[in-house]
Amino acid sequence: MGANQSQLPGGAGGNGKDDSKKKQKKWEPPLPTRVGKKKKKGPDAVHKLPAVFPTTRCKLKLLKNERIKDFLLLEEEFVQNQERLKPQDEKNQEERSRVDELRGNPMNVGSLEEIIDDDHAIISATSGTEYYVSIMSYVDKDLLEPSCSILLHHKNLAVIGVLADDADPMVSVMKLEKAPTESYADVGGLDQQIQEIKEAVELPLTHPELYEEMGIKPPKGVILFGPPGTGKTLLAKAVANQTSATFLRVVGSELIQKYLGEGPKLVRELFRVAEENAPSIVFIDEIDAVGTKRYDSNSGGEREIQRTMLELLNQLDGFDSRGDVKVIMATNRIDSLDPALIRPGRIDRKIEFPLPDVKTKRRIFNIHTSRMTLGDDVNIEEFVMAKDDLSGADVKAICTEAGLLALRERRMKVVGEDFKKAKEKVLYRKNEGTPEGLYI
Amino acid sequence: MAKEVADTNKDKDVVMADSTGAKAAKDPKDAKKDKKDVEDELSEEDAKLKDELDMLVTRLKESNATLYKSALESLRTLIRTSTSSMTSVPKPLKFLRPHYADIHAIYASWKDGENRAFLADIISVLAMSYDDGKRDSLRFRFYGAKEDVGSWGHEYVRHLTAELILEYNARTAGSEDDLQPADPPAKPFATTEELIRLALDIVPFCLKHNAEADACDLLLELESLDKLPQFVDKDTYARVCLYIVSMVPYVAPPDDASILKTARAIYRAQNQYTQSILISLRINDLALVKEDYDSCTDPLVQKQLAFICARQQVFIETGSEEITEILNNTKLTENFMALARDLDVVEAKTPEDIYKSHLENTRTGANVDSARHNLASTFVNAFVNIGFGSDKLMMNAEEEGNSWIYKNKDTGMLSAAASLGAILLWDVEVGLTEIDKFLYSTDDHIKAGALLAIGLVSSGVRHESDPALGLLSEYVSSTTSILRVAAIIGLGIAYAGSARQEVQDLLLPLVSDTGLTMELSSLAALSLGLVYVGTSDGEIASTILQTLMERDDEALKNTYGRFMGVGLGLLFLGKQEASEATLETLKVIENPLAKMVGVIVEICSYIGTGNVLKIQSMLHLCNDHLDATKGEDGYQAFAVIGIALIAMGEDVGAEMAIRSFNHLMHYGEPVIRRAVPLALGILCASNPLVNILDILSKYSHDNDAEVALNAVFAMGLVGAGTNNARLAQLLRQLAAYYHKNPNVLFVVRIAQGLVHMGKGTVTLNPFHSNKMLLSPVSAAGLITVLTAFTDAKSFIVEKASAQYLLYFLIPATYPRFLMTLDESLKPLPVTVRVGQAVDTVGQAGRPKTITGFQTHSTPVLLAYSERAELATEEYIAVATTLEGFVILKKNPDWMDEDKKDGAK
Repeated sequence: MGANQSQLPGGAGGNGKDDSKKKQKKWEPPLPTRVGKKKKKGPDAVHKLPAVFPTTRCKLKLLKNERIKDFLLLEEEFVQNQERLKPQDEKNQEERSRVDELRGNPMNVGSLEEIIDDDHAIISATSGTEYYVSIMSYVDKDLLEPSCSILLHHKNLAVIGVLADDADPMVSVMKLEKAPTESYADVGGLDQQIQEIKEAVELPLTHPELYEEMGIKPPKGVILFGPPGTGKTLLAKAVANQTSATFLRVVGSELIQKYLGEGPKLVRELFRVAEENAPSIVFIDEIDAVGTKRYDSNSGGEREIQRTMLELLNQLDGFDSRGDVKVIMATNRIDSLDPALIRPGRIDRKIEFPLPDVKTKRRIFNIHTSRMTLGDDVNIEEFVMAKDDLSGADVKAICTEAGLLALRERRMKVVGEDFKKAKEKVLYRKNEGTPEGLYI
Repeated sequence: MAKEVADTNKDKDVVMADSTGAKAAKDPKDAKKDKKDVEDELSEEDAKLKDELDMLVTRLKESNATLYKSALESLRTLIRTSTSSMTSVPKPLKFLRPHYADIHAIYASWKDGENRAFLADIISVLAMSYDDGKRDSLRFRFYGAKEDVGSWGHEYVRHLTAELILEYNARTAGSEDDLQPADPPAKPFATTEELIRLALDIVPFCLKHNAEADACDLLLELESLDKLPQFVDKDTYARVCLYIVSMVPYVAPPDDASILKTARAIYRAQNQYTQSILISLRINDLALVKEDYDSCTDPLVQKQLAFICARQQVFIETGSEEITEILNNTKLTENFMALARDLDVVEAKTPEDIYKSHLENTRTGANVDSARHNLASTFVNAFVNIGFGSDKLMMNAEEEGNSWIYKNKDTGMLSAAASLGAILLWDVEVGLTEIDKFLYSTDDHIKAGALLAIGLVSSGVRHESDPALGLLSEYVSSTTSILRVAAIIGLGIAYAGSARQEVQDLLLPLVSDTGLTMELSSLAALSLGLVYVGTSDGEIASTILQTLMERDDEALKNTYGRFMGVGLGLLFLGKQEASEATLETLKVIENPLAKMVGVIVEICSYIGTGNVLKIQSMLHLCNDHLDATKGEDGYQAFAVIGIALIAMGEDVGAEMAIRSFNHLMHYGEPVIRRAVPLALGILCASNPLVNILDILSKYSHDNDAEVALNAVFAMGLVGAGTNNARLAQLLRQLAAYYHKNPNVLFVVRIAQGLVHMGKGTVTLNPFHSNKMLLSPVSAAGLITVLTAFTDAKSFIVEKASAQYLLYFLIPATYPRFLMTLDESLKPLPVTVRVGQAVDTVGQAGRPKTITGFQTHSTPVLLAYSERAELATEEYIAVATTLEGFVILKKNPDWMDEDKKDGAK
């Protein structure tokens, strides 16, 4: 410190001057470090390509993208030339061996508790004891985040490396690895519904510029509702089949967990994963499991479910904006849902799935019978024109049942009689619950 | 309707495939069923529509010509009235698809006439969904009745636009590929003029429907942008101009000039002189600037134009004294002091206030080089108190600064005396009286410093009596070398960008005199370059070239030689092709210096253009691994800096250049690695981006001491005049880290001074006026200082070297303020909103231009990425970009909310 004081003009001031100087030199707290925060995954800032505006389709956008391409070609050319002229393998090898030397052997594994400043952190070793240690300069600090696994030096426990962290296993289960086989073609009718869901969910992900051009924000999500068996889940499957976006699917009941706070946490995780893997579609089936109207309740479990829903509300339209995450919900009891859940802004489109009309029924029958060998006496028209309230699922059940009946007799053909029996059976089961003719 | 028909036509097919996707997917399963089943699947209305269409087509096939007309009419109604969605093809078009070939045949069989033209129109529309690369839509459009383009809907217009562009491109490409038309495929259905005429029909339609991007793209593709101004009106001009001007850095050379000219024509037609003068300045044509000024009749706007010119340091002859005063920047110091009072930063700061060494966690004693430390303090003092007219070392100290000067040695004394010039910047009258006493000093160094100070004081301002020229000219031919050096540099800085003949007469002989030392000649060349920046003055250029040829090899090896190159380069700053001849001449000279000079001239010529080809050639220069001991690799450093200079005009290129620097750092030889931090520094001058700070902070601990040194300086540049707290902390850490290394510590101190330059009120960034204009003088100053750092060892680090070269940063400094003036040019405090600038090019509606804003009262400071807008509508700004000096006038329509309420 003295070094600088002596240089000041008129440094030899009186006592009073010294006092004022002392007052002036107050301690300033160091700025918080930038590393070690939980952060969104995504390409590293250095390797990220610049964002291109405007997003509407126009020549300017094309030109800017071409410029980026030109630069990337230049980079490629330069790197190739350099690799040819002066291979770096040897240098890399050497540097790697030096790092290995510094790391020492053996290494310990610990977990990071907290980052103090740019090169110190609190860690906990496997034994559970916590230490204040330094972070080696060659550690990539961008990878460090609280509670990640780290490599420690065996003697002084300095942080010497980061172990790549895997995603939360709970949520990774929800990710749809294999696309379902059902496509839009397997949906009989529902043209209007397909169009709406395409506009609300698929187009914003594939052609965001259309909405920008219009100056509107694309819808955030849709809710599919209607009586059971009308194809809500089927349509969601078709969406998953059609899109290349990450498709996460959950059932409402999955969000109810045993312990307090686990449910909301799962919701948060779900949306975090969805955002990391954006563009993505989150499909929540049977939303009424968590989304029922709130009411005063003394049961802890009931309240927990409501809290889960509140978290869902926040994730759908809360303080943080979701990027390219679209939500599809499905229920058959929309009237029991909390009005906050389905208000515009959270769920912008409500798509109703009515019971199929005659034409749709005919198409559903066609879809299901197209792979069956039918006898000549089968008259589908008869079932189509019948006045019963058949849903899509009922139709499928009739076809399956008819097939099973034919199977029972080891026939290779499904005849008209099978269908008649099957229909009776299905309808009988369907009406089992309701006392017949009560009001007659 | 498949809406995403883009002018990038490739995805056209995809679109059609996509929209018919659902249908196509059904096909395999439907294949077994007979046709009846397929029809069953259609809803009733659909079936009805289909039947009707079928019927109409059959009617056309029949021979009864009387029915044609009505059939066509109903076809048209059906097509036009069909409602469509974004995800599918309109039903009538879908159902008519199978008949497409039939209708073609019908058309061929008919005779010319009204009906035939009518049918052609319908085919043209149908061809939208039947695209086979023949551009039928366009063809039949020409055969058709040529009714209003818009009558068939937007989608049709878009499709037509796309085909128009394709057709035009195919024609122009064809005429270049094969000149002899061996077998003309068919008689072209329309002449090129007709194509353009159609385009001119489409353009007003697009403009009317908020699709100005489409309109501009179309005309640009058809190479007839000059026809745009006639269609633009007062509602669309702003968006149109914004769009086309932002396209300038990305198009190939002849187009960019024509875009700028078009934009200027539009602005002029709309009487937006404050905008058109910006374009004229960007074209860099004084005649156009003058024309803009003269054609403006409003005296208030003229004053604003003068302020814009003054910022760019362009002088135009006018009769008015008031205007000349503005152009001379005479009031700059007064207004800057007003800003300082308003922000409460008048009180001078000592270097210690900046270092805050009590926060450095080092406990070592005073083993540092004290003279070096004092020198650093001199510079920090000069930078921090720049333009404030008071400080605590030189002027307000008890012994009137003498004591501080004598705490330095040799050139240190020069720098100390010269620092007065920086402190009194822009204030010529007070400055000269303050400096005067040092002119009579017996010590040559102090005297030289006073000479330099005179130059610095008058940097950026003009004075009728030309004190700098009067005082300095006699010393140019002095016998003492140091006095000559100071006088030469002083003249260069004082008259930077003014192209004064007197300066040329004084300095040109020094350049050509081979009897002088290389130092003097080179600095004279540099000063001339600075004075004649961007003029491509032939006489000076040829003299410098002559000198390069005549000087012997020994002299050319002198490290000062690079400044001769910079002098030559600055002459051609931003002149692009104008430097070709000079470059050719330089190629002939067999000397390493000539190669370096060639690179310097090239990078200066293309500064801020974003020219990818030039960047490519710069990267090629960096490919080679040369032996540093032979001294032939100097040009590579400039190639690296050149990448930054060329790319810094536009955001995309700048970001991509940073990526390239990563590779250069990874693979490059030391000379390249040393230049990378400097390049980053100029790329982001006064713009402390976090990722750049991270990179530089990493480099500042590099094994190569010179890389570290340059990185530290670059940190100073990046944060110049921002008071950035993070950067200040990083530098304090570096000061502790390097406390035993006096060289780096010296630069750390300088960087600290830069970060707090003008107590955080100034900027070094050469771009201004919404990043549209590059101030040549500012860029020249930065280039000069960076050149000094390419050989930091000899110029900056060594004792008794040329640290005074750092004063070339002074011409690059300008306050980063927004000052609002009333009609009599008195400061007028109003509330403004200041926030991060948002790129609003091509966005729909009236998007906000700033985000995350705060409301302040003017004068306010604006950071690099910030923009301001007026918070109330009480006043109207005469200028469109709120930067620097802005004149406000009362809004006649404005009524105070409170008063309004009171009236009720």
